[in-house]
Amino acid sequence: MNAHDKVNILMVDDQPAKLLSYEAILGELGENLIKALSGREALEVLLKTDVAVVLMDVSMPEMDGFEIAEIIRQHPRFQKTAIIFISAVHLTELDRLKGYQRGAVDYISVPVVPEVLRAKVTLFAELHRKRRQLEALNRDLEARVLERTEKLQESETQFRTLANSIPQLAWIANSGGDAFWFNQRWYDYTGTTLEDVGGAGWHKLHHPDHLARVIKGLEHSWQTGEPWEDTFPLRGHDGEYRWFLSRTVPLFDSHGNITRWFGTCTDISRQMAAEEALRKNERLAAMGRVAGIIAHEINNPLEAITNAFYLLESHPSLDKDARSLARMASEELARISHITRQSLSFYRESQQAVPVSVATVLDDVLELQARHFRISGVELDKAYKSNQLILAYPAELKQVFLNLVGNALQAMPAGGRLRVTVRETAERGRVPRGIRVSVCDTGSGIRPEDAKRLFEPFFTTKSTKGTGLGLWISKGIVQKYDGTIKFRSLKLSTGSSTCFSVFIPGTVSAHPSDASALTGVM
Amino acid sequence: MTESAAVILCVDDEPNSLVLRKLVLQKAGYEVITASSATQALDLLARQQVDLVLSDQLMPGQTGTQLARQIKNSWPALPVILISGVNEIPPDASVADVFMSKVEGPVAMCDKVRAVLAASNFPRH
Repeated sequence: MNAHDKVNILMVDDQPAKLLSYEAILGELGENLIKALSGREALEVLLKTDVAVVLMDVSMPEMDGFEIAEIIRQHPRFQKTAIIFISAVHLTELDRLKGYQRGAVDYISVPVVPEVLRAKVTLFAELHRKRRQLEALNRDLEARVLERTEKLQESETQFRTLANSIPQLAWIANSGGDAFWFNQRWYDYTGTTLEDVGGAGWHKLHHPDHLARVIKGLEHSWQTGEPWEDTFPLRGHDGEYRWFLSRTVPLFDSHGNITRWFGTCTDISRQMAAEEALRKNERLAAMGRVAGIIAHEINNPLEAITNAFYLLESHPSLDKDARSLARMASEELARISHITRQSLSFYRESQQAVPVSVATVLDDVLELQARHFRISGVELDKAYKSNQLILAYPAELKQVFLNLVGNALQAMPAGGRLRVTVRETAERGRVPRGIRVSVCDTGSGIRPEDAKRLFEPFFTTKSTKGTGLGLWISKGIVQKYDGTIKFRSLKLSTGSSTCFSVFIPGTVSAHPSDASALTGVM
Repeated sequence: MTESAAVILCVDDEPNSLVLRKLVLQKAGYEVITASSATQALDLLARQQVDLVLSDQLMPGQTGTQLARQIKNSWPALPVILISGVNEIPPDASVADVFMSKVEGPVAMCDKVRAVLAASNFPRH
């Protein structure tokens, strides 16, 4: 109902003439006038219509106005319905007082003064209108509250969905710091329930070494209102600790008071592992650089000493015993040389890989071992079926081939045949083609029990010689090229044969004359 | 006519290394002159006939490869062997005839010297 809606005015009188006269008086108010000739009719109207004020003639034949009013007032809906009694009888002050005390009642005496009637009716009509307006406003407000509540719930749901889908562990604590809500990830990671971790229950998930510091930091925040941040291990449902970066911020109300604390924990274990790996890499790189420097610093004096003992071995002024000592020293020095060549050249220096002719590197290696071939009586069988180049560091390839050829020769101290083949091929299941080099000997073969450990560092089948590092280093180098190194040892009726084969993917379509392979005048 | 021994110019900034290498080469029957730097080496080469240059790679001032390049500029057929303490081969090593490691030992060194001389076309004195 708004300010201009008509209200219903019910006029009750057994005399139609009187009703007409009231109608005439009240017509100009512009309200809705309803006539009833008896108490019963009045009730019927009341039940059907929203009546603002009842004009009640007191003197009616069956029941007087007061009695009707009593009946009306018994109905819970009409307890406060405004009734104006029109009475010819002069009521006592006491009666009037009683009526006023009951409320929503007024009296008009006969003869009715039109202005008075109009005034009193208007008063109650307005009251009624206002009441109805208030009620409408109330309903409106309630509807809005409902809408807001729904929106709030939607908001809550959105928040919860968000909070449960972020990868962080999240929680909310009251202004005193007691946690009362955790997101699903928290429960998933820790394998706990709200009962376990609410309040201060989360303490038990912290690593004992860090708990005191964390509590101290948080308490400082609860007191000062400052946001807090820390890094610490948190125990997961599997009992393992992982590192988390934790932050908490206060939430303020409109007066600037802290109502809640909102916190997150981000799993940084992978980040820390990556940082550790980076540090390790840097250490390795540094070690590589140091190894390079050491190599140089060792090799120079090593050469000088080797030369000195070499000269002493055959020095005319020394007797047999002294020359024997010099020879022993020379042998030991050779071992050192062997080791520095193997282990210290394992680290790559920062150079460009260049197109390398594998065939040329092999030839250089075979030439280097030429004396050994002669001494052991080993026949060489070369089958180079490819002149293809690969992008590589020549020294590294030389290292690998030297190792394989050297091992093969050592396996044939009393002669045999060494077959070296170079082939362009594709590894099974691989897209890029590459070069396969195989080095096959007719030596004593590799025992099955040694086979598994062949590429382990410091594993050697040679009784005196060898560092046991050769194959391990070779494998490392080959793997750096994404290649493979394999071996096969066969026992035939004619003897045994062992073949090591190296596959390096990728070929370079460069002109063989561009190759900057090792040059050697051999 | 008997052939006189080949003359080898040995270059190294380390005095002990230089002396010992010279003695080894002399034991193998060569005549040896020495220099402690690339500059000294070039100076000697301008004044004296030499059949082979055996030089250290890492030296203060010019490196072995830089020396080799300069030698090849003036005497393209004069063989140069570079001997190095570092295990990795520098990218421009091919400017020399042979690049070898000090760790290969005196016998290998003499083998290479002999082979290079045998293959060399450089006019002998």
